[in-house]
Amino acid sequence: MPEPRVVTMTVDGRTRTGTAEPRLLLSDFLRHELGLTGVHVGCEQGGCGACSVRIDGRLVLSCLTLALQAEGATIQTVESLAGSGELHPIQRAFQARHGLQCGFCTPGMLLAAQVLLEETPDPTDEQIREHLSGNVCRCTGYTGIVASVREAARLLREEGP
Amino acid sequence: MSRPFRHVGRSLPRVEDPELLRGRARFLDDVRLPGQLDVAFVRSPYAHARIVDVRADAAGGHDGVALVVTGADLGDAPEIVTTSARPEAGTWRRPLLARDRVRYVGEPVAAVVASSRYAAEDACELVEVDYEPLDAVVDPEQALEPGAPLLHETNGSNNFAHIEFERGDVDKAFERAAHVVAKRFHFGRTHAAPLEGRGGIADWSRDLTLWSSTQMPFLVRSMLAALYELPQTRVRVLVPGVGGGFGLKVHLYVEEAILPLLSRLAGAPVKWHEDRYEHLAASGHSKEVVCKLELALDEDGTFLALRGHLIGDGGAHQGHPWTSLIDPLCAASMLPGIYDVPAIRYEVDAAATNKCPSTAYRGVGWTSGHAAREVLIDDAARLLGVDPLELRLRNCLPDGEPAVSATGCRYDGGSYAESIRRARDLVGYEAFRERQARLREEGRYVGVGFSPFVEQGGWASQVAADMGFPNAGYLDSVCVTVEPDGSVTLTTGLQSNGQGHATVLAQLAADGLGVLPENVRVVQGDTATGAYSTGSWGSRTAVIAGGSVLRATEDVRQKLLQIAANELEASVDDLELEDGTVAVRGSPHRRLAVAEVAAAAYAGRAPEGVDPALTATRSYDPPATYSNACIACVVEVDAETGRVTVERIVAVEDCGTVLNPLLVDGQVAGAIAQGVGAVLYEGLPYADDGQFLAGSLSEFLYPTAPELPDVEVEHLVTPSPVTEGGIKGMGEGGLIGAPAAVVNAIADALAPFGVSLDRTPLRPCDVLAAVDAAGSRVSVGT
Repeated sequence: MPEPRVVTMTVDGRTRTGTAEPRLLLSDFLRHELGLTGVHVGCEQGGCGACSVRIDGRLVLSCLTLALQAEGATIQTVESLAGSGELHPIQRAFQARHGLQCGFCTPGMLLAAQVLLEETPDPTDEQIREHLSGNVCRCTGYTGIVASVREAARLLREEGP
Repeated sequence: MSRPFRHVGRSLPRVEDPELLRGRARFLDDVRLPGQLDVAFVRSPYAHARIVDVRADAAGGHDGVALVVTGADLGDAPEIVTTSARPEAGTWRRPLLARDRVRYVGEPVAAVVASSRYAAEDACELVEVDYEPLDAVVDPEQALEPGAPLLHETNGSNNFAHIEFERGDVDKAFERAAHVVAKRFHFGRTHAAPLEGRGGIADWSRDLTLWSSTQMPFLVRSMLAALYELPQTRVRVLVPGVGGGFGLKVHLYVEEAILPLLSRLAGAPVKWHEDRYEHLAASGHSKEVVCKLELALDEDGTFLALRGHLIGDGGAHQGHPWTSLIDPLCAASMLPGIYDVPAIRYEVDAAATNKCPSTAYRGVGWTSGHAAREVLIDDAARLLGVDPLELRLRNCLPDGEPAVSATGCRYDGGSYAESIRRARDLVGYEAFRERQARLREEGRYVGVGFSPFVEQGGWASQVAADMGFPNAGYLDSVCVTVEPDGSVTLTTGLQSNGQGHATVLAQLAADGLGVLPENVRVVQGDTATGAYSTGSWGSRTAVIAGGSVLRATEDVRQKLLQIAANELEASVDDLELEDGTVAVRGSPHRRLAVAEVAAAAYAGRAPEGVDPALTATRSYDPPATYSNACIACVVEVDAETGRVTVERIVAVEDCGTVLNPLLVDGQVAGAIAQGVGAVLYEGLPYADDGQFLAGSLSEFLYPTAPELPDVEVEHLVTPSPVTEGGIKGMGEGGLIGAPAAVVNAIADALAPFGVSLDRTPLRPCDVLAAVDAAGSRVSVGT
C-alpha cells in the first residue's frame, strides 16, 4: 500500500491539512479527516449527487475525486453557505418552500442550486429541473425543491447574494 | 380536543430544517466513537449454492484487521426466528451469517472487522469461499410448484403461508354475471432506496448500545435484547438523523443484528454502514406480487364480486419482524378499495425465491393490489364501452358514511366520489378527451389515468385486524413535561425519518396545552429517554402520536389550570389557557404565564390532591381510520420508442384533519414520485439463474427532476369521526395510488393499439413489447 501523503487545501475559507492514502476519496477525506460531515455520501458511484462540493467554483462529485487531486484547491462545502451566521437566501428558500424532508440530499442540492443561480439568476422551471438532474432526492418528488429554487432566485435578485 | 386548533392546520416551516440546511445535522455515519472499528461483509456471488469451504486466514492476517467471522465460527450464536400473527404462517429461522448455504446474491457469508472500511474491504477480497452452485428459482409461481428447488429444507416448503378468505356467495355472483373481466397483473420488485442506506454502530461492554438508522428504536431494542438474552434495561438504542426510511428501516437485518456480537468479540465499538451495492442487492426489495383478479359485473356495470389470488415473492428469507405477508395479504385485504363489492374470495401465498428478502416499502401490498384492481377496472370500462370514471362513480361507496368493506375493513367515511369528480375537473377531462382525439390524428398518443383509493392510517390494533392480522397489538406513547421555566419537552419513541415530526408534534402539543409551538421541544431517537412506542411506519405517527399528544397535554393542562387556580385564587372553570398565559375570564389583569405556574409547581405548590409533577405519559391505540384520495396522471407515449413523458399529476387528497398543509403536500408529492419511479424507471431484474442485474445506480434509475412535473395537490377534509382530533394519517397514499394512475394513463394513450398492460415496470422496452403484442391480436379489449 503506498504511504499516505500530506495534502493541503482551502476548505470553506480555511487552510486545511491532512493525510491521505493515494486512493482516499475526497468525500472520505472531507468527512473523516477534516470532520466536515455536511458532505454526505449516498452512493460512491457518482449517481446521486449528495456528495457534491464546489472545487474552484465548479460543482464536483467528491466521491469520484481523490483527495490528492484536490491538493491546493479551493473547496466549498455546504457549510460555506451560512458559516455560523444567518441562513443563506437559498437555505431560507428551501425551508420556506419545503425543499427538504430527510435532508440527506440537501447539501448537494443547495450547492447545485447556488451554481445555477450564479449562472442563471432567473431560471425557468425547466432550467431548474435540468440543472438539478444530477442530484437525486428520494423524499420530495422535487416539487418542493423546484419551488425552493424559484424562491431562492427571487430572494437573491431582491437581496443580492 | 373540544377547543379549536390554533396552530394545527398551519403551514409552519419545519424546526428541523436549519441544522439540515447548514450541514450540521448528524446522521449515522457522522457518529464516530473512540476506538471504533469498521465492518464489511463478504457476500455471495451466487443466487443458490452450497458453501463447501471458507478460508479466512489471509484476511485475518491483513493489515488493520481485528477479526474475521464466518458462518462456521458462529457456534451457538443466536438465530433470528420469524413468524407471523397469522396461524397459517410457518416459523422460519436465519443464522446471522450464511452457514452451509447461500440463497441470494449478496447474502452475507463472512464479516471482517478492521481499522477502517478501506482495510475491511481489502480483507474481504482475501476471504476465499468455495461454492457448489445449486439450481435457483426466481419466479414466485414456479417456486410453489412441485419439484421446485427448495430453499429451506427444514421448512419443507417454499410457501411461508397459504391463506384463504371468502365473504358472500362469490360463485353465484360469477354465475349470474353479465360480464367477467380477468387479469394477471405482475407488480414488479421495487426498492425504497432511501438516500441514506442502512447502518449501525454497536458498543457492547457491560451494557449494549446500538446507534441505528431505524424507524423504530424500541422494537430494535426489544429484538436485540431477545436475541442476546439481555434485559431491555441493558440495551439502549440511539437514532441520529435518519436519511429516509420509507419502510425499509422497519426491520432488523442480519447485518445489524450481528454487530453486537462483533463488538463483543472485537472488544471495541464497531460500525457498519452499507454501500449502494449492498443496499440495492441485499437490503430489502418490496412489492413484488403476482395478482390474479377476476371481477364480475352485471349488465349495468355494477360490481357483483371479486376473486383474487395474490402470490407474493418474498425472496430468500423472511423480513424480521414483518414477514413477506405484508405484501400479498395487505394487497388482498384492501382489494375492494373504495368500491361497494358485495362478495369476495381471495387466496394468498407467500413464496420464497432465490432473491433478496422482501421488506416493507411505503404502502406495502396496497400498492400492488390496488394497481391490479384499477387496471382491471379500466379494462372493464373498455369492454363495456363505459367511461372509466363513470364506471368508478357507479360503484363507489357513498361519501361521508362509515362503511365496512367485504374484507372487513372499517372505513370511517371519506370523499370517495367527490375526490374523483375534483380530479376529473382539475384535469379538465372533457377538454382533454378532445385534445387526445386531435393529437391521435397527428400520430401522437396522450392518455389520462385515474386512481381513487383508500389508505389505512395509523396502523394499530384495529387496522391490523382489518388487514388480516387479528392477533397483533401495539403500544405507542408520548410523554409531555412542562419544565420549570414553562417550556415543554415532548419525548416519544416514534421516530422521524424525514417527515417533520418535531414540527407537527409541537403544533399538536401547543394546541393541546395552550402554549406556543416554538416553546415545545420534541425529543426522539433514544430508548433511554423516550416513551415506549412501536415506531414510525404505516402512516402511524400523525394519528397515534397525535392522539397520544392530545391526551397527555390535556392531562398536563388540567394540572396547570388547577395549580394556576390555586395561585390566582380563582375557580378552574373561570380560567382560560391560551398562548402560554392563564387568565381569569372577564378579569384579564388576573393572569399568570405558564412559566409562573410551572415555577409554583416546581416549588412544590399545588392544591390539595394535585400532584405538582407537570408531566403525563399517555398512549393511543386508535380505531381503524382510512384516508382517501384520487390521483390522476396525464402522459404522452412515443409509440415508436416506448418513451413515456409524464405531463401532469393531480392529487385530490382527504386525510381528515390536516396538521400542516406544507408537510402533507410534501408527503403526497414525494410518495407519488416514488410511484412514478416504480412504474417508469426503477426495476430490480434478476437473470434466470438468479444473478442480480441492478447493482448500481446505472441500472437502478431513480426519477430525477426533469422526469417529473410539479405534483398538483388539492385537499378535501372529512375529519375522522372516530379518532382523536379527526386525524387520519396519509404518509403512504401517493405510492399506493400513483402506479395505477400511470399504468392506466399509458394504456389510455395506447388504446388505439388495443394495448393491455399487465405488469410493472413499464420501461420503454416493456411499452414497445406491449404495443407489439397488441398488434398481433385479432380483437381489441379482450
